[in-house]
Amino acid sequence: MTPIADIGSFNAAREAGMAKLQPAAPRIGVGMGTCGRGNGAEEVYRAFAEAIEAHGLDIRLAAVGCFGACSEEPLVNVWIPGQPLVILRHVHSADAARILADVHQGRIPPDLAWCKIEEWDHITARIRYGAGFPELPQWSEIPFFHGQKKIVLRNCGLISPDDIDEYIAVGGYQALYKVLIDSRPEMVIEQVKAAKLRGRGGAGYATGLKWEFLAKAKDPSKYIVCNADEGDPGAYMNRNEIESDPHSLLEGMIICGYVTGTQQAIVYVRAEYPLAVHRLTRAVEQAREYGILGPSVLGRGVKFDIELVEGAGAFVCGEETALIASLEGFSGRPRPRPPFPAQKGLDGKPTNINNVETWYNIAPIALKGPAWFTETGSARSAGTKVFSLVGKIRNTGLVEMPLGTPLKTFIYDIGGGGVGECSIKAVQTGGPSGGCIPLEMFDTPVDYETLAQLGSIMGSGGMVVMDENNCMVDIARYFIEFTHSESCGKCVPCRVGLDKALDVLNGFTKGAGNSAQLALLDELGRMIRDTSLCGLGQTAPNPVLTTLRHFRYEFDDHIIARRCRAGVCDSLALSPCENSCPLHMNIPRFLGLLKRGRLEDAFESVILDNPLPASTGRVCQHPCDMRCRRLTMDAAVNMRDVHRFIADSILLSDHFDAMVARVADRKLPPTGKKTAVAGAGPAGLTAAFYLALLGHDVTVFESKREAGGMLRYAIPEYRLPKHVLEREVELIRRMGVKFEFGMPVSSAISLHDLDEQFDAVFLSIGTWKESWVHLPGTELKNVIPALLFLEGVASGSVSQIGRRVAVIGGGNAAVDAARTALRMGADATIVYRRERKEMPAIKEEVDAAEHEGVKLQFLSAPHRIVGDPKGNVRALEIVKTRLGEYDLTGRRKPVPTAEVARVECDAVILAVGETIDLDFARGSGLTLRENGTFVVDRFTLETSRPKFYAGGDVITGASNVSNAMGYGKKAARRMDEALMGVKRFQRLSGGFDASEYEAEPATEIARQRPAELAPAMRVKSDAEVVVGLTRGQASAECGRCLRCDVRA
Amino acid sequence: MPQKRISIRIDGELVSTVEGKTILEAARDAGRRIPSLCHMDGLTDVGACRLCLVDLGGGGRLAPACTTPVQEGQAVITNSPRLLAYRRVILELLLTERNHICSVCVANGNCELQALASALGVTSVRFPYRYPNLPLDLSRDRFVLDQNRCILCTRCVRVCADVEGAHVWDVKGRGIYSRLISDLDQPWASAASCTDCGKCVQSCPTGALAEKGKAVEEMVKQTWQVTNAAERKRAVL
Amino acid sequence: MIAAGEKIKLATVWLDGCSGCHMSILDLDEGILSVAERADLVYSPLVDTVEFPEGVDVALVEGAVSSLEDASKLQSVRARSRVLVALGDCAVTGNVPAMRNRLPVKQIMQRLYIEGADVNPGVPASGVPPLLAQARPLHEFVKVDFYLPGCPPDPKAILSVLTDVLAGRAPKLPAVKFG
Repeated sequence: MTPIADIGSFNAAREAGMAKLQPAAPRIGVGMGTCGRGNGAEEVYRAFAEAIEAHGLDIRLAAVGCFGACSEEPLVNVWIPGQPLVILRHVHSADAARILADVHQGRIPPDLAWCKIEEWDHITARIRYGAGFPELPQWSEIPFFHGQKKIVLRNCGLISPDDIDEYIAVGGYQALYKVLIDSRPEMVIEQVKAAKLRGRGGAGYATGLKWEFLAKAKDPSKYIVCNADEGDPGAYMNRNEIESDPHSLLEGMIICGYVTGTQQAIVYVRAEYPLAVHRLTRAVEQAREYGILGPSVLGRGVKFDIELVEGAGAFVCGEETALIASLEGFSGRPRPRPPFPAQKGLDGKPTNINNVETWYNIAPIALKGPAWFTETGSARSAGTKVFSLVGKIRNTGLVEMPLGTPLKTFIYDIGGGGVGECSIKAVQTGGPSGGCIPLEMFDTPVDYETLAQLGSIMGSGGMVVMDENNCMVDIARYFIEFTHSESCGKCVPCRVGLDKALDVLNGFTKGAGNSAQLALLDELGRMIRDTSLCGLGQTAPNPVLTTLRHFRYEFDDHIIARRCRAGVCDSLALSPCENSCPLHMNIPRFLGLLKRGRLEDAFESVILDNPLPASTGRVCQHPCDMRCRRLTMDAAVNMRDVHRFIADSILLSDHFDAMVARVADRKLPPTGKKTAVAGAGPAGLTAAFYLALLGHDVTVFESKREAGGMLRYAIPEYRLPKHVLEREVELIRRMGVKFEFGMPVSSAISLHDLDEQFDAVFLSIGTWKESWVHLPGTELKNVIPALLFLEGVASGSVSQIGRRVAVIGGGNAAVDAARTALRMGADATIVYRRERKEMPAIKEEVDAAEHEGVKLQFLSAPHRIVGDPKGNVRALEIVKTRLGEYDLTGRRKPVPTAEVARVECDAVILAVGETIDLDFARGSGLTLRENGTFVVDRFTLETSRPKFYAGGDVITGASNVSNAMGYGKKAARRMDEALMGVKRFQRLSGGFDASEYEAEPATEIARQRPAELAPAMRVKSDAEVVVGLTRGQASAECGRCLRCDVRA
Repeated sequence: MPQKRISIRIDGELVSTVEGKTILEAARDAGRRIPSLCHMDGLTDVGACRLCLVDLGGGGRLAPACTTPVQEGQAVITNSPRLLAYRRVILELLLTERNHICSVCVANGNCELQALASALGVTSVRFPYRYPNLPLDLSRDRFVLDQNRCILCTRCVRVCADVEGAHVWDVKGRGIYSRLISDLDQPWASAASCTDCGKCVQSCPTGALAEKGKAVEEMVKQTWQVTNAAERKRAVL
Repeated sequence: MIAAGEKIKLATVWLDGCSGCHMSILDLDEGILSVAERADLVYSPLVDTVEFPEGVDVALVEGAVSSLEDASKLQSVRARSRVLVALGDCAVTGNVPAMRNRLPVKQIMQRLYIEGADVNPGVPASGVPPLLAQARPLHEFVKVDFYLPGCPPDPKAILSVLTDVLAGRAPKLPAVKFG
């Protein structure tokens, strides 16, 4: 290649590049960045090459960089002359042949096509591709790309990074040329200052000011350094920038060299980026050949060259004085500042260090001016920043957004929200130097100052999304483990302090820890932050300090309750399923026992953990399913149906009496203490069961005529047959529990009475008051709240409901009401203002409703109920909604449109939620929350009144059966502890011989599904829809368990 | 050329000093001793132990007095409850890092770490001790290196490299696993660079480097001798 | 607080220590008389009591916690004492007993009792309390109210602390050092 020395040779290079970028024949560009290769791009490239050769096709093949959408790799772009550039995603080597065949015909395979680019703004030039493919969306219409402004990433994924001509074709080195020819050097520095460009490595120092210092330094052997030691775990934007577009980096540095009078530059790149090193080496070679680097840049008599130095695997070398030490051949340990590198840097000479990404902004600023640059971004920080959006998020990748964009936008609009059903709870920004930002603060704009205020930093732009399956204590531990291993060891606070902090955090994750250590950790963190020598130590405590600040409850859980809700800290749980179960059932044990055929032992195991196993075996929302490790193989183990089978096999058989006696044998000796339970719902029944087993005298006061609460009066017969519930209640009764029906607390018997007559009281009265929805027309006949309707059906007082029923709501009550209406011979339509996936109801129930013929109407908000002159319901008028902006939790707010529709009906059931009876709550004198639920101590469940405990819906608001039972169990444990002064609960569960259910290798059979009534049969009666597993099925299912409870 | 005289405030008191001095030096001239361990008169400062941190006001950012030059108009706080608390934690961390057993140490009674702990009122340590398994190097004829007592102040490294010019000592490893090594991580006896001058022993603030033949409490360091040698060398150069 | 005229109940214990701290107590010389005026020594290796009594006001504990027996003794001392003072470096930092902590107990026992034995090699098992994996200071097991470092602590320091406690004041430690 001949050096470029004038505009003619410059244009020749540009034309050569354009001929390669947009040849007269089609061109396939395979994304060959590291992430592409990691997903098989090399095989894809090879497949294309082989096929092109084999068929002698006139199709060009190029290896391009990465376009940024990492979750869609391998990405391939296709140029058909005159047509838009099309981006294909998830391309496999097997697809190569048919892609080529299609392209040869001027077509694109529709299943692989993702989006198109008709014209692209490279900032330094505009490239027009063509109009066409009307069926394909524009790239900017794809949610992941929508709102992104590609300044830094302007060329990435489009040009071949290995070819300087392509870089020149899209306007590369034009800025340099312009600066060399037109500008006085000082002007460029003024431009960079006016553009308010701040360092993109994390510190955010004004780049223009740094250049000014360097320009003022008169020493001719001063240096420019590019810090490409990108060390943050989860951050890889610099890697992509260099792999995909190395010349932008060079151009920025050469411009700086010229305007500051510097002649030598070094790029310090981490050795763990071999592809980037390779690309940069090639780019420097090509630049030298063209005379863009060397003794006379572009023939203008300016001397400038760039040397590449590889790091040696130390995160701390990202700190500028450590980087300099490393360049000088010393160990990478930071040095005191002052003196600052701008005065005394590399070899004692004035040195300016900038991060990779900062350099990528220079050519655009030089070419288009500071006014253009400041149009983007926030008041204090102009321009864009590239973020690596990773973690528990649907769309991962590199995202370039204007500074000041709210976090919410990254997570929900661009990222697409959480994976699966999991809810996002935090975002960690800035790598190990940053902090964790909780959901409540997701509307924070992402900028240097705003993040610092939250205790985090922007850093290099890493954004790690975390959901409910991440343990924040473990996250804090992980980051300290990282900084601890990367500490250089020079200063005491970082070297030893982080070691101590890691010890404490390791202890927390293993169940050893106390509150005094929390205080110590906080103090230590602040001390390390304030006294460390360099940025590593000064920022290392940030993840800990922010998680302590925003996620204190998780630390408390680990230390006080010895529980890890996310299920990450193995030492704190038996197994993921046990951990997620509100009753913490020892699931592997009953599966293991049943597998050995020990049905009665399995029942004993189950009943001791869960006194309502047949009911929960039918209606529990099964969190265990979502955590089962077997999910990673095929499908979760069907634990709920197995314990239903075990329960049914005993409760509904003639073994019942014998088993009840066996359980009653476990009762501890009478204690002489008298306890009372208010409410015979799931929470109350559970508490009563355990209190009785613990030897206490138990009386349950219930306002209705029978026990069961929501189980009896809200959940319909076809889901939970009452005779099954009756057996469970009978078992509980035979433990010695006394029931007083028709005795509502506060009218028939007051809290004062309970206080006098009993030693401890558990309040579990639930939420039985319907939430009212304020609609015109609710005063009409046949408008009934769901709970009232279901209760009426259960007690026999309601026998018909009209012929066409509209049900407003999306929870289990709505679905139950609709299916019940069907069985009464009516048509039912569920009307919900959001989308199906947002319905709180259990998914199987919604599916079952649909199979039975319930109509589901979404994005419909109730507007008014229309009646006739006689006061009868004629229709439900709804307003169609559309999904608007995301709220902080990732749900889109339903926004009413102007479209109105009618649902013809003669009855309306309102299922919009249940609340606590506020009159009772206020009259009780207990401390309440704003919504009327009782305030209790999180760990002891005590209310504000001594001796009185509370649990279930009355403290959480409307929830579900197993959650309520979990509180009942916990309350019994705590009440017993308080009454007896000793922890006795574990005495109830001993005596199981582990050798009776030793682990065996799991089988490979598929998940067993219980038989169900045919949909057409179901609505004809109240017969139970889900028949249950057979004995053979249940045994087989037990064999699928991976026995996560067994530890080495 | 005479240095420019400037004024700064130290703990509220107006003090006259000379440009080019560090805050540590200026404070000492004014009769205030700021605690330190990695500083030794005559050697270049590294600001590693962080004991000499002082408060320069305006936001609470702390600066190491040993490497921060005086500046006209500075207002320095050398002692405050916060600074004292931090200094105590640093000492606590040092005491737990390795095995500092004063009662059986040759430097008992003549140890800078021990003296500082006593002066700052550190009578117990809140963090658990690490009890690392660290070796002794008894190979050298006249001297001993006991890693258990080393606080990684690097005074020995600096004195050997800058004053004696032999550069026998350096630090290998990273973080808590850092270790003092002689030559290319070999037994001291085989470190050919060593001239047996003993400056490292005299520079060591604890009993890590000591002379053989000394019993408990007998190793008294003559650090002033090394300082003199260092200053003479600097004057010549 | 202690009523005037009433004598406080003072106790001293030695765990894994050399008894040097107790010698330091004896080195109070005539100072011990002023202590005896206000305190009764209800338990100590220096007096003739078998069991650590309830209701001790001040317990001075010397030595590190090296064995299971030390640990359980310390729990009982803590439960039965109002104020617990860690006396001497072994109790405060681990000191000499902790020098074994870098090595596994098994290795030490092997070296001492098998390789090092001239006659009857064998690790003693009966009649000796099992060793903990590491000998550690008191505050890692129980809450310590006051620390008195030194090996041994200066008798004057011990006297000063005792005098303060007997007068009902929070003890102010004179300048002390480890070692």
